[in-house]
Amino acid sequence: MRWLDKSAERTARNIAQRTSRRGFFGKFAGAVVGAATAVPLLPVAKAQENSAPAEEGDSNSCEYWRHCAMDGFLCGCCGGSVTSCPPGTEVSPITWIGTCTNPVDNRNYIISYNDCCGTSSCGNCLCQRNEGDRPVYNPRVANDINWCLGTTSAIYNCTLAVVIGTALDE
Amino acid sequence: MKKLQLFALAMVVFLSACDQPEPQAQQPEAIADSQQEQATLPVPMEIAPESIGRIETLPATYPPHWILLQDAAFFHFLTGKVIVVDADSDDPATRVKGMFNTSFIGQFVQAQSRPEMYVVETFHSRGTRGERTDVLTVWHKETLAPIAEVIIPAKRFSGMPTNYNLQLVDSERLAVAYNFTPATSVTVVDIVDREFLAEIPIPGCSLVYPMKGRAFASMCTNGTMIGVEIAEDGTQASMSRTEVFFDANNDPLMEKAAMVDGVAYFPSFLGRVVSVDLNGSEPVVGEEWSLLGADDSGWRPGGLGVTATDTAKRIYVLMHPEGYEGSHKDPGVEVWVFDTETQTRVDRIALALPAISIGVTRDDDPLLVTTNINLEVDVYSVADGEYRRTLSGTGANTVFQLHGSL
Repeated sequence: MRWLDKSAERTARNIAQRTSRRGFFGKFAGAVVGAATAVPLLPVAKAQENSAPAEEGDSNSCEYWRHCAMDGFLCGCCGGSVTSCPPGTEVSPITWIGTCTNPVDNRNYIISYNDCCGTSSCGNCLCQRNEGDRPVYNPRVANDINWCLGTTSAIYNCTLAVVIGTALDE
Repeated sequence: MKKLQLFALAMVVFLSACDQPEPQAQQPEAIADSQQEQATLPVPMEIAPESIGRIETLPATYPPHWILLQDAAFFHFLTGKVIVVDADSDDPATRVKGMFNTSFIGQFVQAQSRPEMYVVETFHSRGTRGERTDVLTVWHKETLAPIAEVIIPAKRFSGMPTNYNLQLVDSERLAVAYNFTPATSVTVVDIVDREFLAEIPIPGCSLVYPMKGRAFASMCTNGTMIGVEIAEDGTQASMSRTEVFFDANNDPLMEKAAMVDGVAYFPSFLGRVVSVDLNGSEPVVGEEWSLLGADDSGWRPGGLGVTATDTAKRIYVLMHPEGYEGSHKDPGVEVWVFDTETQTRVDRIALALPAISIGVTRDDDPLLVTTNINLEVDVYSVADGEYRRTLSGTGANTVFQLHGSL
């Protein structure tokens, strides 16, 4: 889903101005997306990194580099962080992955988008980007799935973006 | 001793307060005023009291321009709704005909042969916690009341709604529901007898596309489709598989097919169309064609509810220009209409506001309905492509699927 982003704003300008675009950003302010880049799906390197990736950007922004395939509420806006679930929730052990480019070192990293579960929708910082997202018949890279699986509750609250390795160049 | 004195003093105060004089007799002037007031008071009318307890009902067959808005309630998933709305009405109050709930991103399908609608939904015994129970709930079209439920394995797919998570096959005798745990399988329910029959594993494959007879098809990660025939007891009778005909990663087919006469038309991310005929005992892959003409470079299908069909066997696809990797769920600014027999575009409807989902009514003078980027529902006439109205006031929050009533 990308109905809240700058791309939609751009395409909206291309059509006949028959109605106003009231509330387009006002209703769900904050759900904005940065420039899209084509990121190929790459084999996952073994997670042997000894150091954390260099960082820049606001992890509570949808434009943050790890969120290239995000679809959900950012846990950092819900009482957790980009790598930790909010109090009272439980983390899903299985999930979908994305391959995102870190702007600091220009390397591709494998991102695990684990859902935090057991409390109803956080409602804050909705972020929807779909780079590398594929239909649900390709589940490991499908973000339309509620990944609150293997948890005691199926109820979705928010989504993490955890670096689990680097992507190998093909 | 001091306490006793205080108590005695308190009693004196209390008794003196009780010893109030009798009300004085009314003065003659006051009596006259009172009589004048009584003379001007209206005499109570005898009326027939309105009955308490009336509940409206709807027709068993809805008028053709009534639509069903599937509100996933993205910001509070537990209380999703299906809302019945008259898309012809300009009156925000009376165009809402009724609604019913779907718990936690319920998946929805209508029957054609009887006045029933079905939802697979998930409940926890304590709301957001406790034991999970999945049910297939039967809703009656006239009363919008749940008239039956079948408890099914607590495995049903939970995710963004599409038309292919719950389907009816075998002349609407069976309901088939897609499961994802993430192991994939299909729950088979005899919906006439209201009975769970069996679970059929479909490893590596997903979703349920209705096939002719007692069978369903599923799309597989390896680029094939399987066809599964269902035995009398609900188990798998046979499974067939097509050759590889799509790539799940590179220009994949969208799972949101448009189905016309048992043929599924799958748009690809880049605008190809591949048809699969599901009228036989096995899925048969048809020819490939393109949504794009010579001047359509950069246009791509996109959105949540990307496709729709009408009774004239046309398919509708939500399209956006300047596509890029990741734009396959972007809002569309136009709806392109294709004749499935000639495989040509026959209409191009510019939307008043970009849309994330589309639906079309099932009649000879169809309406195109969209969920626009303000998450309101817009109505267009297909005949002239003109915007008609916005259906405000329906109480919906996030309508991800729009259904013409059957």
